[in-house]
Amino acid sequence: MKNSLREVAKAKFGIKKLMGLVILLIVLLLIPRVASNYIVYVMILAMLYAMLTVSYDLLLGYTGQLSFCHGAFYGIGAYTSALLTLKAGLPFWVALPISGMFTFVVGAGVGYPALRLRGAYFAVTTFFFGHLVYLVILNSYKLTGGPLGLRDIPPPEGFLGIDFSSMNSSYYLILVFGILMVVFLYRLVRSGIGRIFIAIREDQDFAEAIGINTAAFKVLSFSISAGLAGLVGSLFAHFFRLLHPSTFAWMTSEMVVIMTLFGGAGTLFGPILGAGIVTFVLEVMRFAPEFRYVIWAIALIVVLVFEPKGLIGIIERIGRLWRKK
Amino acid sequence: MDYLVMQIINGIVIGSVYALIALGLNLIWSITDVPDFSQGAIYVIAAYVGFFAVTWAKLPFLASIFVAMCVGAAIAFTCEKMLFRRWRGTTHHIQLLCAIALFFLMSNLAVVFWTGKAKFMPSYLSGKIPLLGFYVTYERLVVIAMAGILFGLVYFFITKTKMGKSIQAASQDKETAEMMGINIDTVNSVVFALGGALSSTAAVLTAPLYSVYPTMGDLPLLKSLVVVILGGFGSVGGVLVCGLGLGIVESLGGFYISSAYQHGYSFFVLILVLLFRPKGLFGRM
Repeated sequence: MKNSLREVAKAKFGIKKLMGLVILLIVLLLIPRVASNYIVYVMILAMLYAMLTVSYDLLLGYTGQLSFCHGAFYGIGAYTSALLTLKAGLPFWVALPISGMFTFVVGAGVGYPALRLRGAYFAVTTFFFGHLVYLVILNSYKLTGGPLGLRDIPPPEGFLGIDFSSMNSSYYLILVFGILMVVFLYRLVRSGIGRIFIAIREDQDFAEAIGINTAAFKVLSFSISAGLAGLVGSLFAHFFRLLHPSTFAWMTSEMVVIMTLFGGAGTLFGPILGAGIVTFVLEVMRFAPEFRYVIWAIALIVVLVFEPKGLIGIIERIGRLWRKK
Repeated sequence: MDYLVMQIINGIVIGSVYALIALGLNLIWSITDVPDFSQGAIYVIAAYVGFFAVTWAKLPFLASIFVAMCVGAAIAFTCEKMLFRRWRGTTHHIQLLCAIALFFLMSNLAVVFWTGKAKFMPSYLSGKIPLLGFYVTYERLVVIAMAGILFGLVYFFITKTKMGKSIQAASQDKETAEMMGINIDTVNSVVFALGGALSSTAAVLTAPLYSVYPTMGDLPLLKSLVVVILGGFGSVGGVLVCGLGLGIVESLGGFYISSAYQHGYSFFVLILVLLFRPKGLFGRM
């Protein structure tokens, strides 16, 4: 027991890992000081995607449920927050938690019937839920502006003399939220609840046999991940300040799934890496817009053929080679 | 009243397209446990192949269906042989991811080669017949007839031939089937090629009714996935009934309730059915 505890502690606070994290953090903090506005913009985009993907990793990577409606929760969060500030005049700091909670509740409401299904049945049902949300956003002209979208969403209100409408301060704001979310998820998947999620992923019938209420925990995982996606959506809305339904069409949900599996599901770090790399590659390829997705799809297939575990698998391989030398 | 009949016929036309794609998907899904999204892109590529066969090579319509069928079957066959086969027996997420990647790849290749602009296929058969006070064009009847013929052929193939019986056996229990001397590799190849051929036929059949553009495969793919789940695995008749049913529900809902949500009705049908019959309406497994 003592030994295993020590191992856990070692795994948690390995000095190399800690150093790596500190260096990463310093680099992230320094980026707005040294890089151009455009790079900062791409970084913000990458961070938003990384947050969205890492919140999805809780569901796919840790609970083992493949869903195709994460983009829909992202959209629900974004529109809720935007409408609360635009129509009800609430400040951003109130709208943000409300949109997160609302998305959490919607997630629970959808997850309760849908999670009775398993595997691909569940996946296709969520696919349709995602499409339905898109149709509702697209067709509720009075509320969401339909295909015209919403404009003039206010930026987050500043406090203590910080003005959140500038690019650099939004960068730090989103970075802080991102770190909070990753720490929360890291703590969650290593807590008792996280172990239950992993048990469900490994063998749902067995988990049920040892007395776990699998239905409730699956819904919990689904709604937590939905709620976090809602928070990211709210950040997105107040950073870009305009919303369009096509941002939340099924393409987004697919990209989230791809980024998670591409990076390596069930590792938290993998999806963040995957999201970052995908965002940057798509951004770099902007000079040839038609070829972006073609080259990107080929790269994805090559990675899969080479290493089914995704980027994390490749990193592990390199690490093993390194140690052998 | 006239409108009701008209909408039902429209529903049957679009429903037989869903049913054709779903038939191939159903076979692939029941053998490999993978919802093969790439069929949606094969559908797009085949529609373009059919379009160019008619306009550029000046082939007759039926010949262009055959050409597209061969191309679609070849693409699906190659994808299975080069990619899906690698991960057989491992977690399904990889195969699904690969299928999605192929879907992205092929539908974006269509954009690269032929731009996003819609192309209109010339009509190959003019004329219409009167039916209960309004007219049905021959082209629509051809879609229904072709779907019927193909369903008959596939049904015959699955139930009567040796290969078809191997497919049935493999979809029920892969290990036992393999022990009985069935070559799973061949079964996989045949099933994927068959799926590609069926999706391609559906694509070329609808091309003259609607138009040909790179995202034309998205919605039919989604709907046919629903049809597979509604119908349940291992039932050719179930796929046909559910495909036609879904088409009719959509077109009636689009006409009488709201056309904005036309593509959302299948979601309600799906949820309703799955709440009461989680194995689908006609599923045997």
